[in-house]
Amino acid sequence: MSSPWHKANPTLLEKERNEVEAAYPSLHFHIVNYAVFVRGTFPIVLEKEVFDRYLIEISLLRDYPKSMPIVREVGGRIPHTAERHMNPADGTACVLLPDQRWEVWPPGSTLLHFIDGPVLNFFLGQSLVELGEPWPFGYWSHHADGIREYYTGLLGTDDIRTIAQFVGYLTKENIKGHWPCPCGNGKQLRDCHRDMLRDLSTKIDRKLATESLRKLRERSKLS
Amino acid sequence: MTTNDYLAKVLVSQTLGEESDELKALQERRADVEKLLRQHFEKSSPTIRYGGSKAKGTMIRESYDLDVICYFPHDDTGAGETLEDIYNNARKALEGKYLVAPKASALRLKDPNPSNRAADFRIDVVPGRFTDTSKGDAFLYRSSGEKKRLKTNLDVHIKHVKESGVTDAIRLLKLWKVRNVLSIKNFVLELVAIKLLKARAASGLATQLEHVWKEFRDSAEKVSVEDPANPTGNDLSELLNDGVRSELTTVSRRTLKLIEESGWEAVFGSVDEKSKDDKREGLRRAAAAVITPTKPWSQGV
Repeated sequence: MSSPWHKANPTLLEKERNEVEAAYPSLHFHIVNYAVFVRGTFPIVLEKEVFDRYLIEISLLRDYPKSMPIVREVGGRIPHTAERHMNPADGTACVLLPDQRWEVWPPGSTLLHFIDGPVLNFFLGQSLVELGEPWPFGYWSHHADGIREYYTGLLGTDDIRTIAQFVGYLTKENIKGHWPCPCGNGKQLRDCHRDMLRDLSTKIDRKLATESLRKLRERSKLS
Repeated sequence: MTTNDYLAKVLVSQTLGEESDELKALQERRADVEKLLRQHFEKSSPTIRYGGSKAKGTMIRESYDLDVICYFPHDDTGAGETLEDIYNNARKALEGKYLVAPKASALRLKDPNPSNRAADFRIDVVPGRFTDTSKGDAFLYRSSGEKKRLKTNLDVHIKHVKESGVTDAIRLLKLWKVRNVLSIKNFVLELVAIKLLKARAASGLATQLEHVWKEFRDSAEKVSVEDPANPTGNDLSELLNDGVRSELTTVSRRTLKLIEESGWEAVFGSVDEKSKDDKREGLRRAAAAVITPTKPWSQGV
């Protein structure tokens, strides 16, 4: 098994730590075995004024930054329900749709980008929802429905079979030009959506695509 | 406003008054729990009273819960032959009405109504058995760890904390612990603070806190604690393991630096409470200022 990221790349750890701790003095890095935990108070600040604060823990697992940071609210304030976008099984916060990661937290982005982006947006939304306001930037539907919505936006169709075939291609190591295009126009991929697919296959991890495909298939069986 | 005035205001903002909604709700729940336990163990005449931060005067609004001890007479077997039996029977008694989450020696009470999704009532029931007729020392069951029995004395703990003269510093340190998500147990932090501030009870709050943080920063490995209720019997060293000490060192160093660079308000925040409308307005403006909006998802079906 390979070394955990912080041991393999101590420079990255220092860079991440310095950036985050400079921007958020109330968040602290702790190394426990193979993981790095960032714990403390996350403030929602505008023009130096604090409007709310959450007690959070962000876990950076062994294969970070390949794997996404895992966010938890540890103050017991947010109920662990799908409606509040908290995973009821383990209390993790679903701050973004993993398939969309390449758009909102692309490779090379730092942890600070993640905190200033999806994490801030998530907790800002929680505070507004707590006050009876809607989610400020909307939300993805739960489970496979959210994945379907995302690919619908990308592909321009909400046909689940088309979407599943498209995501299925993203699970393949190589995308072949002679495969039929999932868009359904009867053309081969090379004459249709090949470039888009190849581009996306560099952005959406195959393991993630496999997981999304499983969820989509489960959903299509149900509906 | 001086630093000590500011810290005094922080303490006021963290005080749960007897008339506060939070404390009233806890006390009502506590009365219900007591009734339930007395009915269930009618023949055993348990001693039921407050323990924990409520009894010690170290409760803070930001993170509070209520410890309710339920100790049985030393010669009673009606509640159970062994300590484990007592623990399990108390659990059964409470499970009729509550969702009970077992902890090492206590039973955490939650809402059993599925629509309330196990909302935490912030009450821990601590079952145990007095060691003799004096009703001082008691044995508690431990569901985890090597030792299955823990000897304690609630009155000794309460006296130790209340008479330390440093309960205000303890409350602020607890707030600091909560805000920084530190894993040190509250009662260990209390004992450490009392030990470190033994000769400084007359100092101002700011001096007291800075002293504790400097000790954590510079000599965390030397910090030790003993359980005043059982100094030689209860080994608390595992509760101050390397991980806990490392956290204390890291966060104390950063706290002291923060005070130096930005002042005390950077540690405990503003004491001016915002109205709901001001908060809503501020949050709306913060949302409008977001450059890259993202949407949350949910893995749950």
